[in-house]
Amino acid sequence: MTARSALATKADRRRRLVPYALLAPGMLWLLVFYVVPMFRLAITSLQEGSLEQGYQFTGNLDSYASVFTTYLPQLRNSLMFAFGATVIGLLIAYPLAYAIAFYTSRWKSLFLLLILVPLLVPFLLRTLAWRVILADQGVVVTALKTIGLLPENGRLLSTGWAILAGLVYNYLAFMALPIYVSLDKIEPSLLEAANDLYASPWTAFRKVTLPMSMPGVISGTLLTFIPAAGDYVNVELLGNRNWTMMGNVIQSKFLVIIDYPAAAAISFTLMAIIVTMVVLYVRKVGTEELLT
Amino acid sequence: MTDRPNSAAGGGSPAVELVDLTKAFGDFVAVDGLTLDIDENRFFAIIGPSGCGKTTTLRMIGGFEEPTGGTIRLHGEDVTGTKPYQRPVNTVFQSYALFPHLSIFENVAFGLRRQGVEKGEVNRRVNEMLDLVHLAETAKRKPRQLSGGQRQRVALARALVNHPRLLLLDEPLGALDLKLRKEMQLELKRIQQEVGITFVHVTHDQEEAMTMADSIAVMRDGRIERMGEPVEIYDDPRTRFVAGFLGASNLMEGQVSGTDGVTVAGGHTFYVGADKLGGVTGSIHVGVRPEKIHLTHTDSDPGHANQLKGAVTDSSFIGVSTHYLVQTDAAGELTVVVQNLGAERFAPGDQVILSWDPDHTFVVAS
Amino acid sequence: MKARVFYRTLLGFGIGYLFVPVFIVVAFSFNDLQGRRNVSWEGFTLRHWADPFKLPGLSEAVLNSLTIAFLSALVSTVVGTLIALALVRYRFKGRSTTNLMLFLPMASPEVVMGSALLTLFIVAQVGRGYTTVLLAHILFNLSYAVVTVRARIVGFDRHLEEAAMDLYANEWQTFRRVTLPMILPGVLAAFMLAFALSFDDFVITNFNSGSLQTFPVFVYGATKRGVPPQVNVLGTMIFGVMVIATTIYLVVQARRQKMDEAALAAGD
Repeated sequence: MTARSALATKADRRRRLVPYALLAPGMLWLLVFYVVPMFRLAITSLQEGSLEQGYQFTGNLDSYASVFTTYLPQLRNSLMFAFGATVIGLLIAYPLAYAIAFYTSRWKSLFLLLILVPLLVPFLLRTLAWRVILADQGVVVTALKTIGLLPENGRLLSTGWAILAGLVYNYLAFMALPIYVSLDKIEPSLLEAANDLYASPWTAFRKVTLPMSMPGVISGTLLTFIPAAGDYVNVELLGNRNWTMMGNVIQSKFLVIIDYPAAAAISFTLMAIIVTMVVLYVRKVGTEELLT
Repeated sequence: MTDRPNSAAGGGSPAVELVDLTKAFGDFVAVDGLTLDIDENRFFAIIGPSGCGKTTTLRMIGGFEEPTGGTIRLHGEDVTGTKPYQRPVNTVFQSYALFPHLSIFENVAFGLRRQGVEKGEVNRRVNEMLDLVHLAETAKRKPRQLSGGQRQRVALARALVNHPRLLLLDEPLGALDLKLRKEMQLELKRIQQEVGITFVHVTHDQEEAMTMADSIAVMRDGRIERMGEPVEIYDDPRTRFVAGFLGASNLMEGQVSGTDGVTVAGGHTFYVGADKLGGVTGSIHVGVRPEKIHLTHTDSDPGHANQLKGAVTDSSFIGVSTHYLVQTDAAGELTVVVQNLGAERFAPGDQVILSWDPDHTFVVAS
Repeated sequence: MKARVFYRTLLGFGIGYLFVPVFIVVAFSFNDLQGRRNVSWEGFTLRHWADPFKLPGLSEAVLNSLTIAFLSALVSTVVGTLIALALVRYRFKGRSTTNLMLFLPMASPEVVMGSALLTLFIVAQVGRGYTTVLLAHILFNLSYAVVTVRARIVGFDRHLEEAAMDLYANEWQTFRRVTLPMILPGVLAAFMLAFALSFDDFVITNFNSGSLQTFPVFVYGATKRGVPPQVNVLGTMIFGVMVIATTIYLVVQARRQKMDEAALAAGD
């Protein structure tokens, strides 16, 4: 390299620092309030002791062991409900997203909006509304009894079904939107090309639309499964003690019966499961897609 | 390579001096040790294929990219490393980059306002400039309400109103349709001469460059391969790449014969001229531009010294001219362009003699 | 076309399904309740709307929610905009890590984030209350703010900033006069989103609020005893305000959108 003016080097250095300056406040915040707490959580989970005696770091894995023994039912419940909510959510949301992407032409934005509007009602109130819908004397229960799907003295409230219904409802929009976004990206000309090349509508769907909507499906699945797995509100409001999930345990151990190490262990386990899923997802799709 | 254009403006520093300018993006070297002088009041064009570094060079002159090495001087002053707003240069962008939230008047006034020009003066100069580009009545409208050609003129007005000593144009005519583009080419040339400033225009369209420019630099892989006035580099390209880039070149492989001729396969010898060969021996390529070749039937007298026999394989009527492809007996397929002056036309299959004036023959290294 | 009818009907059912609970929330604010549990319809009345803040602690809770929502939205939008600018306009090392770090809070279950933050505050011996809730809200709003503003910046001709600098505007002037006006809709959208998310947040707040009451926390407390209709009234009011705000924003946006899109498609 030949001689450059002094101005160039100084300006050069300044220019390169700009992005870091912009990122600093936010990333620092994330570091302090997200990353560090996660570490603290991990450390707490390995502690022993009680509120009165204080906690010591012992590297004790007892808490983790209890996750898979004492709390196995809750773990099972969390995964079960989350899985159920995701599958049902997918079955409902995919056709919905498909309908909006391909069958609403001018009113697309309106329908998208309509999907999001219910989220403006406070979460707790929305969930409480299901108490009304699934009430013992309500329309739904009565109808089901008439058809014979429910026995005479059966209920929906306080059963697993109610919890499931609540979970599906609350996270439906999170499943529908990402799917919609991927479907929307598919150019109509691709489907026309498929038809031109002798594919029936169903084949075209299977071979073109479905694969191309996969990023959205995966993204929506993650955005549903993860919060659902950690939910406890739905259980509290719509279910009963028999169906407690991981979230309930964490909540009670942190806020009610104070047992920090156990709570931390459970929390961390849940997190670990989820992070694994995200990492697998990222490996497949890359990090740039994450923030779209 | 430090080629200087032929008729240099007298006295003072060149408008632009690039000394050993380099730009690397990681491992990829976009501009490689470029050295170039551009004189004042010239319409200078930089052309080349995609990826040759011409846009990067322009952006470095404008201050939008920092050179990895080398120096840039504008009117004698070293500006390497300075910001765009510190340079007496203005740019017309390929996408026009008009500010959508401002009116046409405010767009044009933008640069003046940033320089602190007082209000009355701003009004006067903006209106004057809008008149110059025939857009006075659009002053209050927004860019979205203008057509492509109009926006292009606004972009030009916005740059010129600041009286820069140097104007950079980054393929500004690319998005216009053919007719409009040709009109704008003449407009730009006219404005350049009227206003009297230096234009540096980057384009991949060689025809456009040759229409407008006083001097052209042909770039390839980050370096200048040939520079000069349009006629000069067209008739004497000196390298295969330049020959091919500036139009069909009809290159034929051969051996230097004697001091002034080249023999090609099939035993034909073309008279080239000692000055063009410059003492070179061995293999060489000889070429002639398609419009310089005359076609005659085999029974007539061709009338020019360099001759070749062949058969027409294709003919395309273009309107102004007819393009022929002629398969010669020994030197491959040549393109011939004949103006439609009402003279006879040839059909595929016709046996013809191709002939041209030796002065129109050029050589390029193999 | 059969398919069209089928999908339109499907859509109708879907939207209907989504709105039934909304309808119930609104309707039960008018329920002429005699007992404590607001689960079955007992008649129409307007009395709850006449005096919605009768309940002790309710108005305070709502006020807390409003102020926290506003402040956290403000901070997270500003900081998030800076990050979005960095991500789109600049090359820098550690881009993947940054993307991942921004994504994780959106993907983490609220229980985990809430409990992790609680752990932090306990160790740092910070009392839980207004401040801790505010800090937590800024945290989770950050990622959403970045995503929203980023979407806006991406669709914006980068040459506009170069053109401004070419016309003698320095970096600050360029930002003020060109960049900011252009990304403003995105910034506003981010603010509104953050506000809504913050106002509605329950889980993370619950873990970190100590004795402070926000609206969702108040509602949760009330579920044990029976949710009074005043809660529905307020819920409906909030819902109404947010719907109106969103509509206004979208209408204005739609008009501006047309203007920008046409201008950016240079040389039609």
